[in-house]
Amino acid sequence: MRFGPWIIAILLAAGVCWQFPLFHVVPLKPATAEKAAATFNATQFADSFWTNQLLPALPKCSAAEALIPLIQTDPAAAKKKYSRGAGVGDSYFYFVSGAGKIIAVSEDEISIEVTAGSTNAEISLQTGLTFGNALRDGTGLLSPSDYPNSQDFNDISAALNHIVETSVQPKLRVSARVGAKISFAGCAEVNDESADLKPLKVIPIQATIE
Amino acid sequence: MKTNWLKSMFAAVLATAALLFIQTSAAQDAAKQKIAVVISTMNNPWFVVLGETAKARAIELGYEATIFDSQNDTAKEAAHFENLIAGGYKAVLFNPTDANGSIANVQKAKAAGIPVFCIDREINSTNAATAQMLSDSYSGCVKLGQLFVKTVGKEGEYAELLGIVGDNNTWNRSKGFHSVVDRYPGLKMVAQQSGEFDRAKGLEVMESILQAHPNIKGVFCGNDAMAMGAYQALVAAGKADVVKVFGFDGADDVVKSIADGKIVATGMQFPKKMAQQSAEFADQYIKGKRDFAQKIPVPVEIVTKENVSKYGDYGKK
Repeated sequence: MRFGPWIIAILLAAGVCWQFPLFHVVPLKPATAEKAAATFNATQFADSFWTNQLLPALPKCSAAEALIPLIQTDPAAAKKKYSRGAGVGDSYFYFVSGAGKIIAVSEDEISIEVTAGSTNAEISLQTGLTFGNALRDGTGLLSPSDYPNSQDFNDISAALNHIVETSVQPKLRVSARVGAKISFAGCAEVNDESADLKPLKVIPIQATIE
Repeated sequence: MKTNWLKSMFAAVLATAALLFIQTSAAQDAAKQKIAVVISTMNNPWFVVLGETAKARAIELGYEATIFDSQNDTAKEAAHFENLIAGGYKAVLFNPTDANGSIANVQKAKAAGIPVFCIDREINSTNAATAQMLSDSYSGCVKLGQLFVKTVGKEGEYAELLGIVGDNNTWNRSKGFHSVVDRYPGLKMVAQQSGEFDRAKGLEVMESILQAHPNIKGVFCGNDAMAMGAYQALVAAGKADVVKVFGFDGADDVVKSIADGKIVATGMQFPKKMAQQSAEFADQYIKGKRDFAQKIPVPVEIVTKENVSKYGDYGKK
């Protein structure tokens, strides 16, 4: 039996495999780190967005003192003047700030009177579990068109809601008391005008109780 | 002799008229530009409505329109794109099969100068399609999650039927739902399986879930076809009155089932509205418009027994 041709064939195959390896062995740790770096980190993004974009944008809020009376008398005009829409649907958002007096406090909300002498709650500052996209979509600072994968865009909502629940609402729940003066800024989503406008349900971004 | 002359004249006039008719028809056909409607699957009534509405609106706008059925197969979808590029289509109204796998097809069309308008399902790219008109599944399922907690309660076991795992809508729906229900530690998800957005598969998966977990109080389904399958399995197991079923899509049979008290709720996605708007976008593009928003969310509305009378025929009455 002649081994010459076999040895040449094996050497050739070894040479090809050396030049064009069928697989690469990569250490697990760096590979996982590389994948994580390529993955969108919504929590990190939300933290940075909150500090560097959202808080500096608060001076652009609509004034509750002007918005609330218009909602009471002419909701369509209020929508036209102060709201921003969401896509092609009927839902819309208000980015609003103002000051008023706390008239009721419950587990999930702080009711505020904005117009002097009003006996009804005009703003309901939400202090319970926070869901939805009001904070993400209410300001106009973020656009779905900037995110190739909508899952990333949606994760931002969850991360922003988490910031509200952990950094804003706990302090509010502790210090809120009927009769105290409060200044606030936040976002409201209106899906159903009959349920969401009176009072306007605002998710707080910032609030100070005197 | 005179008769022969008259006959010849008559034949000549007829021939000329026929020739003119053929030429005019050919000229009209040549002038009619073509729009392709590529749909992930025509094996689901919801997508049939999406495809047929897009086609009808394109025809109304003066185009020749053809539906291509990808049968949930990216290879078939790729073949459709090859054919429509070669076939001289001027625009594509596209319901993708796979958020990542469909990008290459859109890029091919773009390279050939053909605009692609995604409908309902997205591709994970912001520079391939001309515009993407997408149901806001996440927000819709946040609302459904809130209703689920209100209806099923804050404690108990439940199951989830996922859609196709490669589709973003599957996860946007699931994540929206879980962004709410996961906040209630008493609610325990005992099964989460894919029913592939298919009624028969939904029935099969629900049957096996019921055998392993007979005490579930609710099932959240990523689409209405699976919700109908799940409901069928519950009827067969004698549990239709005990287990609350939630769907998503706004399919006609589920809207009717909500009215009958069989299914609790669904998210109405407005397929007709999306399809018509996409055909209008294509028309605007062909006529010269170029500034389209890349991703346009279409809000979802929740249909329940209380408001079901306002909905039907894949939209609001």
